[in-house]
Amino acid sequence: MSEPNDMTCAELADVAAELALGVLTGRERALAVAHLEGCDACREDVRQLMATSEQLLELLPPAEPPAGFETRVLERLGLPAPALAEPPAPASEDTYPRLISRREASQWRPGSAGSGTRPGADQPAAPPARPGGTRRPGRIRRALAAAAVGLALIAAGLGGWRIGAGPSPAASSAAGPLTSARLLSATHQGVGNIFLYSGAERWLYMSVDLGAGDGTVTCQVVSTDGRVTTIGKFRLTGGYGGWGTPDPGNIGTLRGARLLSANGTVLASASFAHW
Amino acid sequence: MGTVGTSGERLPDEALLAGLGAGDAELAVAFVRRFQRVVFGVARAVISDPTTAEDVAQHAFEQAWRHASLYDSRRGSVRTWLTTITHNLAIDVVRARSALPMDPDDLPVLLSAMTDNPERVAVANDSAKGLRQALGRLPAPQARAVAMSGIYGMTAQQVADTEGIPLGTAKTRIRDGMQKLRSAYLPEEAGDE
Repeated sequence: MSEPNDMTCAELADVAAELALGVLTGRERALAVAHLEGCDACREDVRQLMATSEQLLELLPPAEPPAGFETRVLERLGLPAPALAEPPAPASEDTYPRLISRREASQWRPGSAGSGTRPGADQPAAPPARPGGTRRPGRIRRALAAAAVGLALIAAGLGGWRIGAGPSPAASSAAGPLTSARLLSATHQGVGNIFLYSGAERWLYMSVDLGAGDGTVTCQVVSTDGRVTTIGKFRLTGGYGGWGTPDPGNIGTLRGARLLSANGTVLASASFAHW
Repeated sequence: MGTVGTSGERLPDEALLAGLGAGDAELAVAFVRRFQRVVFGVARAVISDPTTAEDVAQHAFEQAWRHASLYDSRRGSVRTWLTTITHNLAIDVVRARSALPMDPDDLPVLLSAMTDNPERVAVANDSAKGLRQALGRLPAPQARAVAMSGIYGMTAQQVADTEGIPLGTAKTRIRDGMQKLRSAYLPEEAGDE
């Protein structure tokens, strides 16, 4: 089976670490890659070394980025940056994971992300830039457009995620604890996203942008047998709000969710892909 | 029943990544805040110039945003995925500019940081702890060779030139060092060999 120039398993073992670390070059690399194509044992050997090298990177010490880093990242993505200053980093302890407070998250700088061409703005997944101007509608359009593009991407590249933007059985077949769906208004306009997480911890999180209106809304979930359960209430300001709960009830059998106004009108609903 | 506010606080990493990919501004902020020190730490470990390191770190978040749908939780954690993205970008920048990244004289400091203060690095699982300890137990020449290749992206020849040793010695140090780390990180697999 071996050609004269083929690499043997013993020779592969000598360079497996370099290959896994990505530092093998030239003819050695070509021969090693060719060997792996026909040798499961050596491929597994390299896979383990690659996993080790990836874990090695996680031992690197965290470092505090320069001031304004967070804002610059969000601008680069065409997303609105928080109006408030970034929280100062603790001097002596690691900040991972950094969490965002409700107050910080609820205050966005109006019209902060609509100018010019940023890196990625011409890419398929980039949220479209908008001309400056109106306070909320522009942001809403941008957010919804971004959500639509993003969800389309997620649905297209399922990988190990149980994510889908629509009622596609195929989309729900992949293993994984996370499911997302779009919240649709009565006129079938996208008005937000809802995420269900059913791993070791259970979560439901949603962001809603109806465009206008202040008031308290009720979130209900609908199980596969048709039972409707109210799981909480939260407030929308200018039609916008986000809310989550660590206890979304019978999450494994949810068919969908919906938002009701104070008078019981269904404002928006979502269907999960696994239904 | 408690609520978790308007942000991604306490949401799992995967949910934040999904929100980032979907263009959800709040979850994107939470994602960046959760991982920015990790990402910048990786970039800064490879690249000496802080401005270039920041550009790499920003690019890493952009890549995560653009390719969030490609993340596969079966292949590793979000943190591992993001760390690998950042490292690849950093190595690419260093190689494109044909310059050595950090000064190898800084290696003792870096290795010390990688093997000390585990609580600061927030790697919680036992296998990572075993890897950290194994790195600390490696003979210094092997640890340096592994770090030069695994962190700085240096070839065996570059390691040999930097250390003033024959190429074969450099390759052996990289191989032996990585095998010991693998045995510590994946003891069950190593035992099968």
